[in-house]
Amino acid sequence: MTGALGYLTFRSVANRVSRQAARLRTPRYLLALVLGAGWLGFIFWGQQPPPPGAAAGAWVVPAGSLITLGLVLWIWVSGGDRAALAFSPAEVTFLFPAPLPRRALVRYKLLRTQLLVLFNVAIWMVVAGRRPGLSPLLRACAIWTLITTLALHRLGAALVRTSLTQHGRFGIRHRVLSIGLVVAAGGALAWGLHDVAPGVLAAARLGEPALRDAVSRALEHPALAVVLWPFRAIVGPLGADGPAEWRAAMLPALGLLALHYVWVMRSDAAFEEAAAEASLARARRRDTRKASGMLVRHAGGAPSAPLFALAPLGWPATALFWKNLAAVLRRRRARNILLGLAAGGAAAAAMSGDPENTLARMAGALALTWLGFVAALGPQWVRNDLRGDLAHADLLRSYPLPGWAIVASETAASAATLTLLELALAVFVYLCYLQDPSLALSPGERLGLLGGVALLMPPINFMALLLYNGAAVLFPAWVRIGAAATGVEVLGQRLLTTTVFLILLALLLMAPAAAGLGAYEALAGVLGGWALGPAVAAGLAILAAEAVLLVRRLGHVFERMDAAAVRA
Amino acid sequence: MIEVESFSKLYGDLRAVQSLSFVVRSGEVVGLVGPNGAGKTTTLRSIAGIVRPTEGTIRVAGHDLARDPVAAKHQLAFIPDEPQLFEYLTVEEHLRFVGRLYGVAEAPTRIPGLLAELELAGKRDVLPGELSRGMRQKLAIACGLLHEPEALLLDEPLTGLDPLGIRKMKATIVRRAEAGSAVLLSSHLLHLVEELCHRVLILLDGRMVAFGSIPEIVAGRPELAGLPLEDVFLRLVGRAGDGDA
Repeated sequence: MTGALGYLTFRSVANRVSRQAARLRTPRYLLALVLGAGWLGFIFWGQQPPPPGAAAGAWVVPAGSLITLGLVLWIWVSGGDRAALAFSPAEVTFLFPAPLPRRALVRYKLLRTQLLVLFNVAIWMVVAGRRPGLSPLLRACAIWTLITTLALHRLGAALVRTSLTQHGRFGIRHRVLSIGLVVAAGGALAWGLHDVAPGVLAAARLGEPALRDAVSRALEHPALAVVLWPFRAIVGPLGADGPAEWRAAMLPALGLLALHYVWVMRSDAAFEEAAAEASLARARRRDTRKASGMLVRHAGGAPSAPLFALAPLGWPATALFWKNLAAVLRRRRARNILLGLAAGGAAAAAMSGDPENTLARMAGALALTWLGFVAALGPQWVRNDLRGDLAHADLLRSYPLPGWAIVASETAASAATLTLLELALAVFVYLCYLQDPSLALSPGERLGLLGGVALLMPPINFMALLLYNGAAVLFPAWVRIGAAATGVEVLGQRLLTTTVFLILLALLLMAPAAAGLGAYEALAGVLGGWALGPAVAAGLAILAAEAVLLVRRLGHVFERMDAAAVRA
Repeated sequence: MIEVESFSKLYGDLRAVQSLSFVVRSGEVVGLVGPNGAGKTTTLRSIAGIVRPTEGTIRVAGHDLARDPVAAKHQLAFIPDEPQLFEYLTVEEHLRFVGRLYGVAEAPTRIPGLLAELELAGKRDVLPGELSRGMRQKLAIACGLLHEPEALLLDEPLTGLDPLGIRKMKATIVRRAEAGSAVLLSSHLLHLVEELCHRVLILLDGRMVAFGSIPEIVAGRPELAGLPLEDVFLRLVGRAGDGDA
């Protein structure tokens, strides 16, 4: 029977590859592939050769172990990792009633995950394959070990979480070892952080060398050293300087991988039940084409009213905007966010004037970091637009709307969502530093900065999301429709995608930025600082012109798009 | 009125529909029948503006679908066999959404009546995920009927409905036709087609095999006289002996 699973895997991959290859007969896909391959080649061959005698990077292991710790914490804290267990509806239909041992299903799931892992190992090799220290093969093995271990951890964590939610106290007894380890690690981490945080924060004010020393010392704290040991072990091979060091580092890394494998395989009793439920949830999502991981959840009862009432008459495309906004933000959720922001912001603002109190500054720094992440990664994450709705391409195309109106309103919905999220974070950051005397900016400048964010982020977000939606319309067979892929095994893909889209966005912003700068240079002599107004207006006008051209073009493509090519 | 003239559709080298011409008049119900892969769904999707014809002209209520798609789509509704709904909109919100898309000023007053007609009145604040398959189908039908389209395209409209739902759906189709809509429905349920449709269009391998009322189709074919539509269909598509024991 396991031969059947191997056959299923092999034939699925072969057919998928041949289908994608057939798409290359379309010039658009071929051009994209050639450009993509060229860009990857540029990254790989464009890496500077290592300077003679360069170390593999003393920071690889400590920084890598901290990042890995963060990923593992996220796996345990976030609730979305049940996707790791999900089977497709066809797999549930054929495999679950089939006379297969549960372990075969677990192995099948792991085998499918390996395809993704190997693909992402290849991406990481392109991105970082020519760094000093190791041969490409040894580096690839090190990356594979790291990603596979994390993927297994994600699967195991999902099994533990599901077992707990489904079996209550029995689940706790059944999982006492796993839970005990997690609780002990969490406690030790909290103890260690409590001890080292003041020193690291103080060092952060003194500059990078001091911070590096402080972090190195902090990692030697007994509690942190114990908690971080497994993370150092799985990252260790990546930091090796040569084959001998690599072999020594691989032993504990492979040991941990083997332990994870045993952990997951021993969880097989809970696997089928958990997988069935996760698959059911995914099938439900697919049936109804959930657009994003941040959709409004309804625990029961009627959902609250959408943000605004939709009048029966008016521009019809507003209905799409209304619909997509209702998918992520309704009145109850908006009210809760506003209340939370008001309470947190008021507290932060009150504390910001006290030079002894670092809490507001820490919260501000965290929110600012998060704002940066949202600005860069948000367009991948917020998907209440065509990337969710293309699964309903037939329905959209039957609506009495021109293609450009559909593209514009769909994109506007996710741009509005992303902007609201960014504005909430920006306001919180502003309040955290409201009375901070140590900040070089005057209160007026801080307010101006906030105003600048409010003014510029909506059009920039619209352009960024237009690029993502454009990719979905131009390459429906390549772009994932529905919720974004999650998990450590796809981090390489996400990094690459984000980089490509950020470069494209930067290219699109060049002309508006040049127009704005030109206008400022021309008018500054006459208007002084007031020249900023016409300069921003000039930049926004060029940006708007670009957006109109793009929307029109994408609308045209949407009207002719092959809906059958949409990748569900 | 739906007018289809010399319509052809190619998928790569595959000719899904070939030189198809027919008219569905206002107040008329036409049944689109044919074996799997005959081109029924392609025809319906092309009239709905989802698929672009390779050749030919399609007009809905006098509007050329290629030249003025927005005006043409304003006058039609397409109800697919698999209900496509948005998970995060309630039943009533779906109808409000469709009302705005089609600019139905009377939507607030029409919605309660439609919900009652399709037995969804008690479910107005419910999300589609909590509805049964049949109710989801009813909601999709309600969305299609809200703007009182002049052309109604139905792909297997009875799939998933219970006996009472089937009876009500049949009554709804008849009522819409009596109100002046041109109805084109595709179905494998030949007794439904026989019961509801004024004329029948039989497709085979993308070509029209016959088009007209059942008496018109059997006229000139004495061997088909007196046979039910199922037998007429099977003989016309050359599968008369396939189902015999």
